[in-house]
Amino acid sequence: MGSRVNMRPTSKNTLLKVVILGDGGVGKSCLMNRFVSNQFDEHSFHTIGVEFLNKDIEIDGETYTLQIWDTAGQERFKTLRTPFYRGSDICMLTYAIDDKHSFRNLQMWKNEFLYYADVKENVQFPFIVIGNKSDVEANEREVSQVEMETWCNENAISACIETSAKNASNVQEAFATAVQHWLRLENRADKNECLYTDTVDLTKKQSENRTSCCINASDE
Amino acid sequence: MGDVLMECMEIFSQDGVQLKSAQATYVNYLNLVGTLYITEYANSNCKRCLEWKPNDVTVDSDVQDQEWAVVNTVQKRSRTFSESQPPDASTRPKFLKVNFNDIKSFKISNKNRQLTIFDGKSEVTCCFIFQHGDCDYLLSLMRGLLKTVSAKRDKHLYIVIHGDDPETAQLDKSFAELNIFQDSSHPSWWKLVKNFQERPYETTFETFSRVTDFVYRSPDQRDIDDDQRELLHRSLTEYASTHCQGDYEVIAKVPELPERKDYPRGRPLSTEQWKNLQNHEGKLEDVDQIKLMIFRGGVAPNLRYEVWKYLLDYFPWDSTQVERQKLLCEKNDEYYNMKLQWKRMTRVQEDNFSDFRERKNLIEKDVNRTDRTLDFYAGDNNPNLQLLYDILMTYVMYNFDLGYVQGMSDLLSPILHLLKNEVDAFWCFVGFMNKINSNFDIDQAGMKEQLQNLHTILGFIEPQLVNYLDKHDSGNMFFCFRWLLVWFKRELSFEDVMRLWEVLWSGLPCDNFHLLVCVAILETEKQALMENNYGFTEILKHINDLCGKLDVPAILVKAEGIFHQIKEAEHLTDNIRVILGLPLVGTQPSPEEVISISPDSPDEDPYEQVYNTMQHIIT
Ligand SMILES: Nc1nc2c(ncn2[C@@H]2O[C@H](COP(=O)(O)OP(=O)(O)OP(=O)(O)O)[C@@H](O)[C@H]2O)c(=O)[nH]1
Ligand SMILES: [Mg+2]
Repeated sequence: MGSRVNMRPTSKNTLLKVVILGDGGVGKSCLMNRFVSNQFDEHSFHTIGVEFLNKDIEIDGETYTLQIWDTAGQERFKTLRTPFYRGSDICMLTYAIDDKHSFRNLQMWKNEFLYYADVKENVQFPFIVIGNKSDVEANEREVSQVEMETWCNENAISACIETSAKNASNVQEAFATAVQHWLRLENRADKNECLYTDTVDLTKKQSENRTSCCINASDE
Repeated sequence: MGDVLMECMEIFSQDGVQLKSAQATYVNYLNLVGTLYITEYANSNCKRCLEWKPNDVTVDSDVQDQEWAVVNTVQKRSRTFSESQPPDASTRPKFLKVNFNDIKSFKISNKNRQLTIFDGKSEVTCCFIFQHGDCDYLLSLMRGLLKTVSAKRDKHLYIVIHGDDPETAQLDKSFAELNIFQDSSHPSWWKLVKNFQERPYETTFETFSRVTDFVYRSPDQRDIDDDQRELLHRSLTEYASTHCQGDYEVIAKVPELPERKDYPRGRPLSTEQWKNLQNHEGKLEDVDQIKLMIFRGGVAPNLRYEVWKYLLDYFPWDSTQVERQKLLCEKNDEYYNMKLQWKRMTRVQEDNFSDFRERKNLIEKDVNRTDRTLDFYAGDNNPNLQLLYDILMTYVMYNFDLGYVQGMSDLLSPILHLLKNEVDAFWCFVGFMNKINSNFDIDQAGMKEQLQNLHTILGFIEPQLVNYLDKHDSGNMFFCFRWLLVWFKRELSFEDVMRLWEVLWSGLPCDNFHLLVCVAILETEKQALMENNYGFTEILKHINDLCGKLDVPAILVKAEGIFHQIKEAEHLTDNIRVILGLPLVGTQPSPEEVISISPDSPDEDPYEQVYNTMQHIIT
């Protein structure tokens, strides 16, 4: 991992591509802006298209450059955002704790991500679940911390955290946790490296359609 | 490295090219994505080759959404030849390689995203899909490097002429092209094709005529069985519908564009001019001139309040004062009727109406995030936010299928800000939406088409830039998405947005002029993008960061200059004419007509078509 063609490294830091996903209005852009420039603009525009910002983060004495991708949450723009999932290292599944619906949609977001991100099968991917807007009044809360943890357990996701982009609570921690989580999985993968290398599997496709001398890949 | 370059030069390369079909040798690579090259060898008898190499065989590209699959910032860059060993087919079996001499014809299909190579030996073909935009640039290169003829009415099939004698060569290739029939691999069909091939056809038309005659003679005269007839019919149907009738033209190298001229901007339409152009009934006398003035210079700010209602089709251009008064009353009633529909909705109704609720939620969220830095919308509990909300909600009732899509609040905001009247703003917003509602298609088809069209036009004006973008995973033009979705609303100051929009609303000088505005900006940024050797992410960032830095008058001057260049270009394609709404030249049939040609319609005899085709080659 690490080497990336399209990003000229300004330093030798490991560059990690982080995508923030979640329903419109859960606070994805606010989280990114809080993390990158420590600002919160309550009335910033909703996102059109795709944006990204870079930010360095230090974990255990090592500096990582996070390339954070923020996209529009509305279903309509799915075709636009999904191509950007490929090559992601970390995925933040975000909901707002005062919006049950956004929590229920996490499953959809996770599936969408896995489908388009081109993640290797059988490899655990570093997801982190983020419950944003933790600052809202208790009576406005629609999703409890327990519900979040249950969902994470069911989905084999080991990292989750409640944040508030508004009062800057846990935002740094969320990104740091995500990187640590990535590191853990990465180390595990390194140990298993020998199992994966050179096992390019071309046989699957080969076996079918072998009858004629000219093989056409089936369309769509 | 120097001598390596001497041996082999890469003329062209594009990544994101998927191998869709090939000889059995390459079975392992089917469906993989890789890079397509044109290479030139100094010391070899096969001077030029088309070569394809998979990116990284570990990538399983089965599952991607091919249509929009683009970005892979982590994939390993395939080595270019200049860095690697001199290529040699025997030492690098991983490359799919087609000698240019073996290309007998090639075909572009699937919205210019698919390239199929025919090598004349019927069983060998290869086919590529371009995932990052189209293959227009490659096509223009191949047409430059190879001598081709193309069916006038099937611009997508190119037959390559090898050898010196054009006449025999052309006929020869036309036969080769007939091998496209190979789609049907039925044995009896092959026998027939073999007949075609083995027959010494002596490059004369007569022979061909005999062959086709054989095919088309009335059934009782034909000595082929039903099976074959079936196959023939099917193949020729395909032939007819893809190749159509028409003569061949020899395609020369792409000529240069006419010189770019400056068309200076004019002054905004003034109140005085506007008043002078109305008669005593308040009817506009010379609409064309008004539109032209608006296109040239926009509208004076204090006049916008009135003129925008015309530009946005609220007031008919030819209406009188009295008619407009009447219209206002009607539209007022109509608006409040629709508004009441959602206002009166009970809690229970709403609970049982999830589509409505969903739209409502989105609007609530977005109204709070629309132009809040403007005084007009600033502060909590600003009544103008309520107006914004009410209008968008009423629009949901007006056009429930479209409903509310993000971006619409951006489009409404300047209109409401200017008109400050709920009903007027609503109807003007409706007019704007009518102009660009395909931007908000459920499947985003409208946006995809625009990005594609932008790519096409940019390729015509700046092939170098388009090639650069293609090579850097940006041929899909995604980075222009925001520009196109809300017509630069997010990139410009409020004042500039109003100026740009009114100019675009004039509908002059052509359809989709906003695409030429994009081209003008991209052309301005070309140097920055290419000299910095920006990659996919940096291109996106650079374009996103243009926000607040665009000079609208200068861009409009440029865009208009580009328009005239395009219009006067000798090699202007029908494709671009269609995009810009320019009249098609000659009597070529529209695409619908072409499609309707099939042996099912008896008067459109495929034979007739083939015959005509051959005639033109010979004479
Ligand atoms: N109370 C509270 N409000 C927040 C917080 N984060 C964001 N918001 C508000 O939520 C709204 C939406 O935030 P955005 O960051 O624009 O949401 P998004 O997820 O980027 O939405 P899209 O761009 O539409 O996909 C904004 O109006 C913010 O004011 C938070 O931590 N607490
Ligand atoms: Mg956002």
